[in-house]
Amino acid sequence: MPQKTLRIPNRPTAVIAVVLFAIAFITYWDASHMKVRATYGMSASAASYFVAILFAALAIGHLISAFRPSDIDVEVADWMAVGWIGLALAGLIGSIWSGGGFILGSTLLFALTARAFGRKALLVDLCLGAVIGVLVFLLFNKLLTLALPQGPLERLF
Amino acid sequence: MDTFSFLMDGFALAIQPANLIYAAIGVLIGTAVGVLPGIGPALTVALLLPVTFKLDPGGSIIMFAGIYYGGMYGGSTTAILLNTPGESASVVTALEGNKMARAGRGGPALATAAIGSFVAALIATASLALLAPYLVKIAVKFGPWDYFGLMLIAFVTVSATFGSSPLRGLTSLAFGLWLGLMGIDQLTGQARLTFGVPELLDGIEVTTLAVGLFAIGEAFFVASRHLYQPEKPIPVKGSIWMNKEDWKRSWKPWLRGTVIGFPIGALPAGGAEIPTFLSYTIERKLSRKPEEFGHGAIEGVAGPEAANNASAAGTLVPLLTLGLPTSATAAVMLAGFQQYNIQPGPLLFTQHADLVWGLVASLFIANVMLLVLNLPLVGMWVKLLKIPLPWLYAGILVFASMGTIAANPSVMELLLLTGFGVVGFVMRRYDYPIAPAVVGLILGPLADSALRRSLQMSLGDPMILLQHPSSALMIGIALVALIAPFIFRGLSKFRQDED
Amino acid sequence: MRNHFKLGLLAAVVGSTIGFGTLQASSQDLELTIMAPAGAGGGWDSASRSLQEAMMASGNAKSVQVINVPGAGGTVGLAQFIGSAKGNPSQLLVAGITLVGASISNQSPVDLTQVTPVARLTGDPLVIVVPKDSPIKSMDDLLATIKKDVATTIWVGGSAGGADHILSALVTKAAGADPSKINYVAYSGGGESLAAMLGGQATAGVSGYGEWEGQIKSGDLRALAISYPESIEGIEAKPLKAQGLDIELVNWRGIFAGPGVEGADLDALKSAVEKTVKSAEWKAILKTRGWTDYYAPSDEFKTFIGSETQRVKTILTSIGLAN
Repeated sequence: MPQKTLRIPNRPTAVIAVVLFAIAFITYWDASHMKVRATYGMSASAASYFVAILFAALAIGHLISAFRPSDIDVEVADWMAVGWIGLALAGLIGSIWSGGGFILGSTLLFALTARAFGRKALLVDLCLGAVIGVLVFLLFNKLLTLALPQGPLERLF
Repeated sequence: MDTFSFLMDGFALAIQPANLIYAAIGVLIGTAVGVLPGIGPALTVALLLPVTFKLDPGGSIIMFAGIYYGGMYGGSTTAILLNTPGESASVVTALEGNKMARAGRGGPALATAAIGSFVAALIATASLALLAPYLVKIAVKFGPWDYFGLMLIAFVTVSATFGSSPLRGLTSLAFGLWLGLMGIDQLTGQARLTFGVPELLDGIEVTTLAVGLFAIGEAFFVASRHLYQPEKPIPVKGSIWMNKEDWKRSWKPWLRGTVIGFPIGALPAGGAEIPTFLSYTIERKLSRKPEEFGHGAIEGVAGPEAANNASAAGTLVPLLTLGLPTSATAAVMLAGFQQYNIQPGPLLFTQHADLVWGLVASLFIANVMLLVLNLPLVGMWVKLLKIPLPWLYAGILVFASMGTIAANPSVMELLLLTGFGVVGFVMRRYDYPIAPAVVGLILGPLADSALRRSLQMSLGDPMILLQHPSSALMIGIALVALIAPFIFRGLSKFRQDED
Repeated sequence: MRNHFKLGLLAAVVGSTIGFGTLQASSQDLELTIMAPAGAGGGWDSASRSLQEAMMASGNAKSVQVINVPGAGGTVGLAQFIGSAKGNPSQLLVAGITLVGASISNQSPVDLTQVTPVARLTGDPLVIVVPKDSPIKSMDDLLATIKKDVATTIWVGGSAGGADHILSALVTKAAGADPSKINYVAYSGGGESLAAMLGGQATAGVSGYGEWEGQIKSGDLRALAISYPESIEGIEAKPLKAQGLDIELVNWRGIFAGPGVEGADLDALKSAVEKTVKSAEWKAILKTRGWTDYYAPSDEFKTFIGSETQRVKTILTSIGLAN
């Protein structure tokens, strides 16, 4: 079978068009399932339908421009660095979700983000992150009485 | 006694040496706490209010005024330096201010913000003293239809932040509108786009979206390019102070920002965000160097900052005359009054005139203090940007997430923050403007409920929007602002063809 | 904008925590945690903090902590409380009539009948007002207006399904009109709806009495009735009941323990709360906050919750917010 490839010069835009279509569909679906109706005037679903139509129009616009050459230069990305930041944020969320507390979470966040920007001295950064975490915790909890999530480390204070 | 002699009595109280010291302390700690990312002016005042409990009423109200202005100023500092707006009203400040800081002009950006806030607060506080009782009569007449007209004007102005492609700008705006749908609809109680997640029922916080898109998205983006295009250390070009040209380009935006900010702030549902957008658009239109917008135009910091502060003074109008807190900061001010057993409301000006004027005088004093104490600090703030890049961004992420956790310690909120960070990264990578998304989230729900309240009151008749002259006028202005650029473009093209 | 108030009203709260965090130890050695299922600054939060203050100051508990779990009219906090406080006698929850309504209209799987009532604490009246130059001078006038045309009788008040909405539906029903046809325009709180009242955009408005007291006393709004069953000292407007309408609606708040807390554990909590409510400290708090005492002990409160849930459900169904 001859390879019949549809040549799309601007692939990312095509992907975004698909995402926009999906959002339009989800919004439409959500609006069509709303039960509460306003007695007078417009219901809550009106704005949803409006946004769904807007997204569908934008998706078509993206689809059209996907067949034109791109007007922007997309740079090569260092996906390792992006991954490290993702890991850093995951460290914070994981620590708070599992009850590890704020200090542990922000220590991980700090050290792993610094790693993403090319620092190799992980131990130094971990210590620095911990110091910042402790200071912020003390400032918030003791001085400002704002409750940050507590874990084993926080209970020491 | 007339207004003037009341005001003089207020000043006599405020300039006593002890009270001046209280004002100085208030301004300093207000700035220090307000500068923490994620902590906007309202939270700053709320956190520090108890400190004032221990003083006598006069001293305490003066320190309170100092904290209030200090917190306002601290909020714009983080927006400019770290690109993490602490509240929705400083989103616009971050747009140009952070670009200026990146170009080594953080000093002038901070200075124009400080002096602009000073000028705006000075004029707005004076207007408050003279006009409050009259303004409020007009403000309560503002019906849902009028708010809808105002929102339409604000929507049209958003296009100023669209950048190179209207398609990408509209997509960003639509993303904000979509997020604005999420949560329980205030008018009918219907849940929209919550997918059965109870945490989504209260909707998306503007600051979560702004910090996610701005600060976290930026960190992702810079890291992704770091290997290939290492970010150069930020140069400090010229003086850290404003030069002659900066002054020349700033003073008119300050005044225009004030004129826009004060009356809209005085509306019971006006808020501080809309005047900052309007001011940004107007400055961009009027600037002699519109090409600098998006790359660090000083007018884009001067105008919105002035508008923000003027609208903050404007919110005191419904607060003092009706007892109606229309913004977070005003709600805190209300709590501040209640600690002296004063109930703001229609009777306040007649029953507690001395305290009202004492507060107004303190606001003046705190304003001067803020300028005197903070301008020397500009040099210190700017040095923050000299921290090595890995630590700077690591620090920004820690402070940004800390602000989110402090406001709402839930994992869901952090997941949203991270998700918006990823979206912000993709948007930056493919050249989608960020600001329209935030604007959409702020304006969308307001416009939705204003329109639906109007139609509910008219039993579904859309003509209600045109029957009131005020709303018809505003809708007309919005239409003209939308269509005029196309007509002018067509006309100039036509002329070129004739030549 | 919708979160302005949550954040903004923090002030009062932080004030109370700093002031009272370290008050004297007590005869009792209860160590309690009170959950306020709302953000800092609102009614449940201030009730929790006030109870914390009074319990510790009156020596009925050794230590009391308050935590805030905001979200979805309290149902997020309630769901978490039902999970974490099961059989645990050291955890308490403060909640009120709004949570009853939110559970129903959000179709939440949890509601207040699943937790153990300890005591009802306070109950504030709602007020029905009209603009000062309105031709409506009395409740009878208002009822006649509703009966004439329910659609053009525009009500304003707090968010949809809340106590304000429920009261206006009850009045509409009493006027002989169909409550599902009520034209109720919801605002985010007493502030914005006040502006709509003063601007003359509505026929009638409902709010907590305290929120509009200033405008009622200055004559900018005319109060027609309060929803409390009896007259209240210092409030001129007469109760609906005294005006021939069989309607009462109180914005009550109470305190609850987790599911399965019973026997001696529950008795200890009941007596600690009862002693606190009878203390001078609590009476002083009620006075400064402008709250009305509405104490009911555990058993009576339990029956009350059952009937209140039923009643709110009926009225929400009649206005189309629940099935």
